Amino acid sequence: MKIRRIFIANRGEIAVRIISTARKMNIETVVVRNATEPDALYVSLADIVFDNTEDPADIPVFLNIDRLIDIALETSCDAVHPGYGFLAENAYFAQKCIENNIVFIGPSPDAIYKMGNKTIARELAMKQGIPMAMGSQGNIGNEEEAAAMAKNIGYPVIIKAASGGGGRGMRIVRKPEEMEKMFLIASKEAEKAFNDPSVFIEKYIENPKHIEFQILGDTAGNIVHLGERECSIQRKHQKLLEEAPSSALDDDLRNLMGSMAVRIAAAVGYYSAGTVEFLLDSERNFYFMEMNTRIQVEHPVTEMITGIDLIEQQIRIARGETLAFGQKDVRIQGWSIECRINAEDVQAGFAPDPGKIEKLILPSDSFVRADTGVRSGSSIVSSYDSMIAKLIITGTDRKDAIRKCKLALDRVWIKGVKTTLPFFRMLVRNPKFIDGSFTTAFIEKDLDKYYLNSEYEEMLAAWLATKLFEDENLIGKSPAADNGNNSDMSPWLLNKRINQF
Amino acid sequence: MNDEKPAIKKLHALSSENRRFTFTLPLRHKIRIGKRSYEVKLKSDEKYGTHILWKNRKYPVEIIRSRQNRYEILFNDISYIFTIETPFSLKRLKVLKQSTGKAETELIKAPMPGKIIDILVREGATVLRGEPLLILEAMKMQNEIHSPVNGHVTRIPAKGGTNVMKDDLLIEIKVE
Amino acid sequence: MDLSGKNYKAFTERQEALKKQYGPGQAEKQHSKGKLTARERVSLLFDAGTFEEIDAFVTPANQPVEFGKVERTYGDGVIVGHGKINGRLVFGFAQDFTVMGGSLGLVHARKIAKIQEMALKMGSPIIGMMDSGGARIQEGVASLSGYAAIFHNIINSSGIIPQICVIMGPAAGGAVYSPALTDFVFMVNRTSYMFVTGPNVVKEVLNEEVTSEELGGAEVHGRKSGVAHMIYEDEENTIMALKKFLAYLPSNNVENPPVVADDGLTPDINEKLRDIVPDDPNKAYDVKDVINLIVDRNSFFETAELYAPNLVTGFARLRGKTIGIVANQPKVLAGVLDIDSSTKGARFIRFCDAFNIPLLTLEDVPGFLPGKDQEHSGIIRHGAKLLFAYSEATVPRITVILRKAYGGAYIVMNSKSLGGDFSFAWPTAEIAVMGPDGAVAILYRRELAESKNPAELKKELVRKYRDKIANPFIADELGYIDEVIDPALTRKKIISAFSALSNKWVKVPARKHGNMPL
Repeated sequence: MKIRRIFIANRGEIAVRIISTARKMNIETVVVRNATEPDALYVSLADIVFDNTEDPADIPVFLNIDRLIDIALETSCDAVHPGYGFLAENAYFAQKCIENNIVFIGPSPDAIYKMGNKTIARELAMKQGIPMAMGSQGNIGNEEEAAAMAKNIGYPVIIKAASGGGGRGMRIVRKPEEMEKMFLIASKEAEKAFNDPSVFIEKYIENPKHIEFQILGDTAGNIVHLGERECSIQRKHQKLLEEAPSSALDDDLRNLMGSMAVRIAAAVGYYSAGTVEFLLDSERNFYFMEMNTRIQVEHPVTEMITGIDLIEQQIRIARGETLAFGQKDVRIQGWSIECRINAEDVQAGFAPDPGKIEKLILPSDSFVRADTGVRSGSSIVSSYDSMIAKLIITGTDRKDAIRKCKLALDRVWIKGVKTTLPFFRMLVRNPKFIDGSFTTAFIEKDLDKYYLNSEYEEMLAAWLATKLFEDENLIGKSPAADNGNNSDMSPWLLNKRINQF
Repeated sequence: MNDEKPAIKKLHALSSENRRFTFTLPLRHKIRIGKRSYEVKLKSDEKYGTHILWKNRKYPVEIIRSRQNRYEILFNDISYIFTIETPFSLKRLKVLKQSTGKAETELIKAPMPGKIIDILVREGATVLRGEPLLILEAMKMQNEIHSPVNGHVTRIPAKGGTNVMKDDLLIEIKVE
Repeated sequence: MDLSGKNYKAFTERQEALKKQYGPGQAEKQHSKGKLTARERVSLLFDAGTFEEIDAFVTPANQPVEFGKVERTYGDGVIVGHGKINGRLVFGFAQDFTVMGGSLGLVHARKIAKIQEMALKMGSPIIGMMDSGGARIQEGVASLSGYAAIFHNIINSSGIIPQICVIMGPAAGGAVYSPALTDFVFMVNRTSYMFVTGPNVVKEVLNEEVTSEELGGAEVHGRKSGVAHMIYEDEENTIMALKKFLAYLPSNNVENPPVVADDGLTPDINEKLRDIVPDDPNKAYDVKDVINLIVDRNSFFETAELYAPNLVTGFARLRGKTIGIVANQPKVLAGVLDIDSSTKGARFIRFCDAFNIPLLTLEDVPGFLPGKDQEHSGIIRHGAKLLFAYSEATVPRITVILRKAYGGAYIVMNSKSLGGDFSFAWPTAEIAVMGPDGAVAILYRRELAESKNPAELKKELVRKYRDKIANPFIADELGYIDEVIDPALTRKKIISAFSALSNKWVKVPARKHGNMPL
């Protein structure tokens, strides 16, 4: 089937990304313009803009299924791309699109539903013989069950929400006496975040690496993996830096884990792009965690080392095409690192620093790819995420990639908001990062400061402060020679003033 | 009798971690490192905005806030807070520190009953006298509560979105 | 003939003796407390080499001292003289705490009185740096009358030459009236205090323990009593700020203030002004952001910042020429007027009027602060001071209404009918007898009571009220506003308006003085 026009149910950087590939493929794009950011970059790049600035509804449009379907139909779109976040993993939304004859650029609603429910996903993985952290078969109903299960598995264990991730509804329990309290907190949090208090329990793996595999499948049942991504640099479950490939995997482990990823995807008849997440412990044991049924933020690093445009593949697969390559055709070359440059204050614990970007200059070197959704003059608004740009650096090997990272980071120029650049400048010089031995505990445990103190930068700042003080206080503002502009005073006025007394 | 006391000859920039940088006056556009002097220039243009030129490299700078002799400078994405002291005022600081031994805590209390709309500072944040700490809505009016002292925030008992009574403790500040 | 010859022996001996009196030992007495000596303060204040001291060699009064002892020192504890500050003639005195605690005796007071009289004759400003233990007990009533003479001189010069006091040490008992009577008071934090009755007497009479700092330190006077207008962390900053401050003021009430070279970097048209007032009428903004975009870059010098922060006062420059600014501050108490802000504003306006400094008023005021506190303490009287001050002022007066201007507060804040010369309004202005909520509740009371959906109806009525009554175009069309302007053009409009008013002259009524509410 033909896709002539795609409705992008998203904003910011990913909307710009999708527009870029669609343009390459001669497909028209439709986006939504909102009152919160009417002059956003993605709005000016799309072919057709639906003006939603007068929307009276309470929920943001990107979460409003009915409205989105209406817009897609009104603008005669053949397909919808949900991007990531918002409704990208909402099976109901996918279903609604299909019911309205709009192609959903993503997997089947059934795959979304099954993989979205962590308990079902675990069951499937078990059936497929995929290594997993030992844990509960289904959801845990109450604290007693939880305690019993935990005793069986052995502490420490982790309580997780069945219906969502991102750290919410998640609690590590190290001692039996904490179980009751943690269980209640976790299920309450899960209910608040995902409208579903269901939780399950798993063995907690200490200080693992987070390794995920990129999956691509077509509607004919062909599934390949495009290698792994190393995503262990996280803070409070938010990824900051990702790389492809990972220094922890050799070819054997890669093939093994990749085949497991393909197997679990096949178990739900997966097609389109998806990601299977594993935890890797210090003894090279890996455990399936979950599958994300959408394109991910960090997809560019995989694109850089495989030469495959993932958005393009998604669109082709949605059109009904079969994959033009098999597993043995997938070649990994070079090393890619992505730094997420966010508008956050590293000195205040990564607190968001919304504001207007006064100047934005991104490096234009050949080894740098900058994916961004903003430009000079854009505002980073607190209602959306704080992403400014993804800086993707590619080198011949990891050492080369890190070296080029240092160069690229020094060539980024952003004024108007505080950014996470100081963090990355420190990270690429950190020995544990350089030797690859970091785990997911790296930021919380191995770093005592989030930025480097450059002595001479501080001195330059001190010089500037001193200069300001000197200008304001020590350089006398010499009044004009005629100290009172009194020879200009009109005789009328002078006469009156003197005679009034 | 004309007593010629020399004008202020040098200035010290004290960082928030008590590092001291000394510059002689009048301030030159050259900074000495070891045996060599390098030129430093403050510039501003359309493309880059305000920046400092040093050793052939540009660094983005921003003056975030300033008050009397305290300056917060954002230099290459990291912010620094400096107090500029003359040699005498440095001595004075030492003298005063000895005499007031104990650190004072300033208690910020609600001046009237109302609702806390927004808390504008975090624990540990440096505050300057006159800077806003939180917004209290009372009698249908928005009120900014300002810091009466220079110091840093040690505790924030106030919670956003809650109602408070007159004299409820909102913020504790350790005075500089 | 060189100075070592016998003709000059007495001369050089005396000079040596004076130098010895002011040797390093004496300086250490002040330095060890973190304070500068009187001489150091004088050299910091005046341009290098311009200070000429008068009466350096006087000695304390020769009258018989019946009680206690008096040191035979030169100067009697105060340095007085004249010099140039940024090129302008200024008279000044600095009390010397190291000599008999800087206490005021007959000769000390006479020196100050002498310099005050000279300043008045020359039409030049006078600055007093106070650092004194108070009246000299040993000299009895002579000290007290010394003070009275000083106060009398201040009052004689009030409104004719600018008089500024800098409190750099104790100023207790009778001494505090000097700062109270002068135009502006600068104070150094932590090493200076002012109170009428000190902690010792408080302890004796009320059995209450209180430190000097708690009773009358800089924090107290800057924030609570409003006696001190400008507070600084140390002496050097205080003096440097004072020098900057002086450049805004004329030397006397006939001259214009000095014009400072404008670097021309402030844009006359600035679109950022359009974004400052939020769409939500209950949301606050900082009026100082507006001020800083209108006046010459970095030229705003705020006075009494910590006292009654709901009204902002201060000096600034437009194309290098000084103006006085009075502005409601929406982010404190929503910018309402109350007792403290009324008196703060009134005093500032009267100073500007006395010294021919044009006034700019930025208005965003929803009314007066309600409540028993204010009413019982006389908001009626105090609010009237502000009204009186504006109405009486004959300097050029311009108002720009930024947002709210309701009822009595609208009248008080320099409305055109009070004699304001030009009144501008931003499109966001709301000029009305009262705010929409109150008005609708009164005018449509019955309809709202009978309505099935009063919340909806009220919302609709409020919208109508804003459209039909509370917008500036009505006032414009009726002639009560001269022009509704694009906020981006504010600076341009104000400069041209002040320029048209530069020769404004109004005859003051023939009377000794009005009866201003006090």
